[in-house]
Amino acid sequence: MSYRSTWWRPWHDMDLTLLGAVLTLTTIGVTAIRSAGLAQHTWDWWQQTLIALLGLGVALLLARLPYQWLRRWHWGVYGLANALLVAVMFVGTSALGAERWINIGGFHLQPSELAKVAVVVTLAAVLEQSRAPALWTIGQAALVVALPWVLVFVQPNLGTALIFVAITLGMLYWANIPLAWIVLLLSPLVSAILLSLSLPVWGVWVVVMAVVGWFSLPWPRIGGLAALVVNLVSGQLGQVFWGLLKDYQRERLILFLDPNQDPLGGGYHLIQSRIAIGSGGLWGQGLFQGSQTQLSFIPEQNTDFIFSVIGEELGFIGSMIVLFLFWLICLRLVLIARSARDGFGSLIAIGVLSMLIFQVVINIGMTVGLAPITGIPLPFLSYGRSAMLANFIALGLVESVANHRRKSLY
Amino acid sequence: MATTLRPSQVRVHLARQRWRLRLVWAGLSVSALGLAVRLVYLQGVQAEWFRERAAAQQKALIRQPSPRRTVVDSQGTVLALDQPVYELYAHPRLFKQPIPQIARALAPILEQPVAALTQELQRAPSGIILARGLLPGVAHQVKQLHLDGLELVGGFARVYPQQWVGAELVGYVNREHRGQAGVELSQEALLRQPQIPALLQRDGRGHYQSTTVPTSWLLDDPRQLRLTLDVRLQRGAQEALRQSLQKFQAQRGAVIVLRVKDGAIRALVLEPGYDPNEFYRFPLERFKNWAVTDLYEPGSTFKPVNVAIALESQRVRPNQVFYDEGRIFVGGWPIQNFNFDQAGAGGSLSVSEILEQSSNVGMVHMMAQLPRRDYYQALRRLGLGDELTTDLPFTSPTSLKSEMEFVNYPVEAATAAFGQGLALTPLKLAQLYAAIGNGGWLVSPHAVAGLWHPQTKELTPLHQPPRVRVFSQATCDAVIPMLERVVERGTGKPARIPGYRLGGKTGTAQKAGVGGYRSGKITSFVALFPVPRPEYVVLAVADEPQAGNAFGSTVTAPVVKAVIERLITLDGLPPSRKK
Repeated sequence: MSYRSTWWRPWHDMDLTLLGAVLTLTTIGVTAIRSAGLAQHTWDWWQQTLIALLGLGVALLLARLPYQWLRRWHWGVYGLANALLVAVMFVGTSALGAERWINIGGFHLQPSELAKVAVVVTLAAVLEQSRAPALWTIGQAALVVALPWVLVFVQPNLGTALIFVAITLGMLYWANIPLAWIVLLLSPLVSAILLSLSLPVWGVWVVVMAVVGWFSLPWPRIGGLAALVVNLVSGQLGQVFWGLLKDYQRERLILFLDPNQDPLGGGYHLIQSRIAIGSGGLWGQGLFQGSQTQLSFIPEQNTDFIFSVIGEELGFIGSMIVLFLFWLICLRLVLIARSARDGFGSLIAIGVLSMLIFQVVINIGMTVGLAPITGIPLPFLSYGRSAMLANFIALGLVESVANHRRKSLY
Repeated sequence: MATTLRPSQVRVHLARQRWRLRLVWAGLSVSALGLAVRLVYLQGVQAEWFRERAAAQQKALIRQPSPRRTVVDSQGTVLALDQPVYELYAHPRLFKQPIPQIARALAPILEQPVAALTQELQRAPSGIILARGLLPGVAHQVKQLHLDGLELVGGFARVYPQQWVGAELVGYVNREHRGQAGVELSQEALLRQPQIPALLQRDGRGHYQSTTVPTSWLLDDPRQLRLTLDVRLQRGAQEALRQSLQKFQAQRGAVIVLRVKDGAIRALVLEPGYDPNEFYRFPLERFKNWAVTDLYEPGSTFKPVNVAIALESQRVRPNQVFYDEGRIFVGGWPIQNFNFDQAGAGGSLSVSEILEQSSNVGMVHMMAQLPRRDYYQALRRLGLGDELTTDLPFTSPTSLKSEMEFVNYPVEAATAAFGQGLALTPLKLAQLYAAIGNGGWLVSPHAVAGLWHPQTKELTPLHQPPRVRVFSQATCDAVIPMLERVVERGTGKPARIPGYRLGGKTGTAQKAGVGGYRSGKITSFVALFPVPRPEYVVLAVADEPQAGNAFGSTVTAPVVKAVIERLITLDGLPPSRKK
């Protein structure tokens, strides 16, 4: 039966659970955008629907194509993404001081969104070649990411820059880079934060890192010493850096811990979002019935704060369904990574997984008061046509990996 | 390029460390669990608290400022109305432009010098009041400047277009918009339209949602407080009184026009008066409606009331004759006629002649026909000693001696017979004459006709106390011709109007002061018009006229005449046939 030639044969091995979960989320997202836009009579939900349909088409096309062609073209993809990032600096438009876009016939193309997928593809191709774990692998990955990272960072788009870091670390992890090295990579940041919290804990951290360096790095003495020095210095650098920040920047980073310090300024979004989600209760106030949402108490609600619509109108039940769908998507991505035909495909799946999981945790964390405001949208839910398109392209690539997996595993 | 790896190698390479996969699972589960726990906390544990916070910021109890009711006269002429005005506040803290620039922009609109405005604006960072009582047009000009830090607060200002005319009845409101005199005070509850507070929904920008506005706010009540007053009559009466007071240099005076059938006050003039638009420029005593509050001894004007009491008692017949000695002694006190020194004894007088000549001695003999207790009871039935029920503020109870005094001391009943030893307000006297004029009913004098809907022309009358019968029709029919004779042949001659029939009675009384009578006198004239079926009581009082020839007949009768002439034109009354 499976050998019979049918029109859907080219998509036969696609992961339908993944596709279903994504389409369900997109539908929920469009509905939430419609709800958030009711008071203003906006057509955002319709735009989002159109781009989702276009994205679905692109994803199905990509799923049908064997993804290996990208291995040949990954530098091309990388070059194109960076070229767009450079172009947006000159011909781009910006709003709210961040997130630059190129206007193509009314479509606001945000190159940073597409760059995320390009980074995943390029890193997958580069990391696939590293047979044995070596420091050089980290170096290669760093070199690949550095260019788009800088281009995005100067936009300034801190959120996407952070996503690049998350993608890189996730893919390095999957490429068998020793966990200790990844910990060492992150250690300067931890050290900088720890010093401002507690001196003894910071001291313990520095010593532990030195030991980790001693045992994991190629030349134990030099490695241990380097880890020690780097952590000592970065602790101090953290203090200096913190001092360099302006008051409002510092506030923004820690405001999520107590938004009531500035209830009408930086804390406003956070407070209103929390009120909306909290007042949703178990079953929610009903679709299109959320008072916080319909009375437009939450700025940027259809983009970064879309989860507050779901929390308020669909309640705990609706929120848990969304969380479950994301969890299901992550589960499928891990399974696809496990069953991929080659390292390239496997790494693509993990790259997409890292990208999604980081955005979901940070975004939802922000709306429920566990993370600071970083301007990271919620994949498949937030209004944003470039992001939507990029996410569907990523889905298409992963579906291609699934579609062209090693059949023996199943 | 990078196609050197064989699939089998990759598989071994990536899956060798199973703990990596487990760590991925662990990471996934921990993040999902963390978010879920947080959601349980927000949406479960704290849901109620968040709901309350949401409601608190989405709803606000709002009171809509509604204007005070308009007051109109019986013809619909506006006597008092609320005009929207604005107060302008400045909050320099919120200014986006430098202070001198804002001062320059505001100066021509507010008609204030730039320098003064600049100085004023530098006084405080917020809450500076720049102007009060701005008219809507001026406020609009300020709005058109689109300047941050300027705040226009809307309110209402009370305007009295008739100025002095009718202020006696209308009264005025103070700066807090509260009635202080007249119907503005007595009808405060009716004039202040209820401000129904409503719980309005507001959005994130603080805008109230129109859908949550109660319909009662949109259906505002256009009904006006309609008075029984006629501004045209009021104005005419005011002019006549003013002229007379000037001529005789009287301290003050009053005119009351009362409709006999229901007690509606068609005019009530007090001179000197005040302009309610600028009440603060007048001495406090001007605001008192002394025609309603101040007691005076009515003197001769009370005689017709006594005649009615006597006839009603059946102990005196209309054609009965009494002998007037000119002077008698009652309980050791001398009682004489006002003209005793010139005319001596009056001789035998009929009841009608007693009134015509205003004979005090005749009145004493007539009233002596009644047992004093009966006389006293009759006075009490007329409401003497009680407070007069009106819809005007601050009425005083009329003053009457105690029953014990009145019954035991003959002089008390004797002086009461010619209107002394008892005191009442001008309005009370007008009410008693109205009872004679309307067939014996004691009606409640009132200034408010009711609530008038200018579109539907519907009048909702206010509740009036029930009228009380005090005289029979026969009594009234007997007294009215007597009053007419006073005007035809007696002291009321100056009030005669060719072609029209009216009755009336003059009065010139010594003012009662502490410990006896003072030098000043009160002259008055009360008329019933038209005879034989009176529609109006017209009363005029002049307080302390200075000229030597000042009597009820000279000072006040001409005023009453002028007022009646005005009534004739306003009501289009045809001349009466001579009998």
